[in-house]
Amino acid sequence: MLLVLTICLIMAFTAPWLFKMLGRYVVIPFTLLPFSIFSYLCTFLPAVLSGKVVRFSYGWIPSLGIDMHFMLDGLSLFFALLVTFFGGLVMLYASGYLNGHVLLGRFYLYLTLFMAAMLGLVTSDSIFGLFLFWELTSISSYLLIGFNNEEERVRKSAWQALMVTGMGGLALMAAFILLSLISGSYTFSDLLSMETDITEHFLFLPVLLLLLVGCFTKSAQFPFHFWLPNAMAAPTPVSAYLHSATMVKAGVYLLARMAPVMAGSEVWQYTLVLVGGATALLGAFLALQHTDMKAILAYTTISALGQMVTMIGIGTTVALKAMMVFLLAHALYKGTMFLAAGAIDHCTGTRDVNKLRGLARYMPVTALATTLAALSMAGLMPFFGFIGKELLYEAALNSRFFVWLVFGLTFLTGIGYVTVAVTLSYGIFWNMPRRATKLVHPPGFSLYAPAFILGLLGAAFGLIPRQIVTPILERAVQSISGNELVQLKLSLWHGLTKELGLSVLTILMGLLLYRYLKVVQQKSSILNPLYKFGPNNIYHKAFSGFLLAAKAFITAIQNGNLRRYIIYIILFFSSMMFYVIWRDAPHIDFSSRAQLLQQLPFHDVVIFTLVVAALLFLLGTRSRLTSIVVMGLVGYSAALIYIMFGAPDVAATQFLIETLTVVIFVLLLHKLPAFIYLSHQFNKYKYIAISILFGAVMTYTMLVVQDHTVESELKDYFGKTSVLQAHGRNIVNVILVDFRALDTLGEITVLAVAALGIYALLRMQPEKGDKP
Amino acid sequence: MRTLIFATAIRILTPLFLVFSLYILLRGHNHPGGGFIGGLMGSIAFVFHTLAHGTKQTAKSYFSLTFYKYDRKPHHNNLSHALRLLRKNIVRNKKEKPIFIWNYYLLRLRPTYLMAIGLAVAVGSGLVGLVMGKPFMAAYWLKVKIPLVGSVGTPLLFDTGVYLLVLGMVLKMVFTMSKD
Repeated sequence: MLLVLTICLIMAFTAPWLFKMLGRYVVIPFTLLPFSIFSYLCTFLPAVLSGKVVRFSYGWIPSLGIDMHFMLDGLSLFFALLVTFFGGLVMLYASGYLNGHVLLGRFYLYLTLFMAAMLGLVTSDSIFGLFLFWELTSISSYLLIGFNNEEERVRKSAWQALMVTGMGGLALMAAFILLSLISGSYTFSDLLSMETDITEHFLFLPVLLLLLVGCFTKSAQFPFHFWLPNAMAAPTPVSAYLHSATMVKAGVYLLARMAPVMAGSEVWQYTLVLVGGATALLGAFLALQHTDMKAILAYTTISALGQMVTMIGIGTTVALKAMMVFLLAHALYKGTMFLAAGAIDHCTGTRDVNKLRGLARYMPVTALATTLAALSMAGLMPFFGFIGKELLYEAALNSRFFVWLVFGLTFLTGIGYVTVAVTLSYGIFWNMPRRATKLVHPPGFSLYAPAFILGLLGAAFGLIPRQIVTPILERAVQSISGNELVQLKLSLWHGLTKELGLSVLTILMGLLLYRYLKVVQQKSSILNPLYKFGPNNIYHKAFSGFLLAAKAFITAIQNGNLRRYIIYIILFFSSMMFYVIWRDAPHIDFSSRAQLLQQLPFHDVVIFTLVVAALLFLLGTRSRLTSIVVMGLVGYSAALIYIMFGAPDVAATQFLIETLTVVIFVLLLHKLPAFIYLSHQFNKYKYIAISILFGAVMTYTMLVVQDHTVESELKDYFGKTSVLQAHGRNIVNVILVDFRALDTLGEITVLAVAALGIYALLRMQPEKGDKP
Repeated sequence: MRTLIFATAIRILTPLFLVFSLYILLRGHNHPGGGFIGGLMGSIAFVFHTLAHGTKQTAKSYFSLTFYKYDRKPHHNNLSHALRLLRKNIVRNKKEKPIFIWNYYLLRLRPTYLMAIGLAVAVGSGLVGLVMGKPFMAAYWLKVKIPLVGSVGTPLLFDTGVYLLVLGMVLKMVFTMSKD
């Protein structure tokens, strides 16, 4: 598995280079890659279908117990197949959609990167591995949404998607850490096979809520749904692949994965059902308001994700079956519709459903594909969507709680789907063929073929459900429910049940709604002021507010006045020391200390006098050169003190640094303006007071430190081992380059970075418009 | 700062400083000294030279190689031409004007390279331990002792990296400051 992911990543990063070599034929290797992974994954089908779980393990951070475990059970394999199959089609489609684009190589890079991340996500068994891939999908989604980065709207949308899903990712990480603390296991298989019930643990509620935030942001559930319609700024292949078929289902996948562990909790059930139901209805309602094809599709996607979440929340076996079947049906028809929408956009230059008429004449294959998909979406008889819809109704009617609420939501959503399906198929392709919209260019093979394949599959799965998809779906449902005995029997005809009646009723109501759609759209414009309080607006307000606050804070703290910086640092440090001294209040015997002063050797007194005299002189001088030289004198005196205490290394460094400082100052001196007192006399006394305070605090601290020597074995250890193990007699240097070499490496790296920073600052020319 | 005495003295003192800084670097493991002090000392050598002669001259004298070259004369065969070129390059007669000078700047006022090399050497010395199957930064000493240098091992290499980085850093700062 790791090999597959590595190949994906290598392929991803060679994409721009391959594009340079192969030109537009770059599509061939990149379409072959997903399909070959698909066939490789198919080799695991017999094993998984017979009930085994295929595992791969690789050591990663053994000291923390974090390893890369991959697992292929029914659910994982189903998702992996979905990801790779869609990946192949979308890669093919992208070559047509972005035909002649100069950055096609980069596009394939991002897309393949995403596919690798998604593949890792659904096959990962270790929770931290899943988190890693989870974040990688967010990042590649950001890159893909922002692909047309010249437009500001696109950049903002990409940023928004990253912020929302990234925030969810953080919540998810917290959830995973807490979860591993509660359960002591790092893999899903351990979690699922655990004996104890973690729902009783007092940390369970935080875990649950954080996990839900993570999944809801990823799967665009209310109130985090707003990023998904904005993410439609991405090129259409991306929307079809990431934002309808795969990435947004990652949240659903994780919920399904965790369902056996969490489903016992009532909070889980109620939250999922309520949030999912609200999202489903809201999505369907908003989809009816829009005329942009991609926006309609985005909102119906949100709605469909809501339905899946609701089903997981209900948690009965029927509901889980309904979830899986509906997931596949949705992926097939929504993928088709997205790809068709992209083709229409590409060929006619518009996506507005009000402007598009009678396109079946010019785009017959796309029309056929979309119609098949729409019939599946509406839930008509021989299509796979029909089976999904039947199961949804059955699950809603057999819910253990909120039966009428859940059913009502599902029913209303269903009506919305029928209307949308009619709008997108009949309205665009078959309505008014006489006044058909003119095409700019006819669709090429790669623009209609993928959509057609998907549409056909939706019909085929519906006609012969048992042979192809049932076994893998059955295993997937078994993984979710944690019950090996669940059986899935899909068939078109159940006899005259009430679900069938409700299906027919849904379709009739949907057609009725389509007839009066214009009226509904006009009436519902009353609700427009509500959007002001919608989460999208709140997000933008919060974002700009945060920027403003950050700006105000920075201008207050870092205003370019170096004296202030130093004052902040010193005052902060002094107050910390004050707090520590006040809290611990160590006792110091001043009288015995004072007696020590009498034994002060003569040279110490000389140096002390020198330093004090130099400092006093410094305060009075008005010449820069003098002050630099006097400061140098102070520094050299300090070095002399080091020598007397037997630290020649430190003393040598001090000498050299002082020399360099003086030399550098001299180099710069002639560039500086004349020395004038800018600050008020009062400020001067303020600075003196702060300096004295700092000096006093430091002196007191030194006295305390001397009184309470810290016992340390390090000194002895270094003394003993320096020669024996490190071949050196200069302990200071041995520590620097051998015992603590990693620290030194960090320090010299900081030095290098600081030097580059200084270089950048010095070379900056503000008068020419350079900005720091 | 262009006083005659300072300028002349520095011309002699700079190589002396440099040799001494290398000495400090090498003795660091057993006596006071080491890469950091050595690097500072080496950089001071160049800084003084810059102070006396300007950055361009410093870069030309210490960070560039000058090759003298002229076309082969018809009555010289290849070997004698090569020997003549070699002699021209070793014994530089300033009065005789060379036909073509090929000036190759080693650093061209880019002490950043020194910094980068220093960092690479320091990290590389750590990698030796990794290759030997020990943790990163584990010391590895050669058995033999080299005269003047003493025992050689990765800590010395690491110290050399520190030396180069410190040298590059100070030069970078000083050259940038004194440039315009």
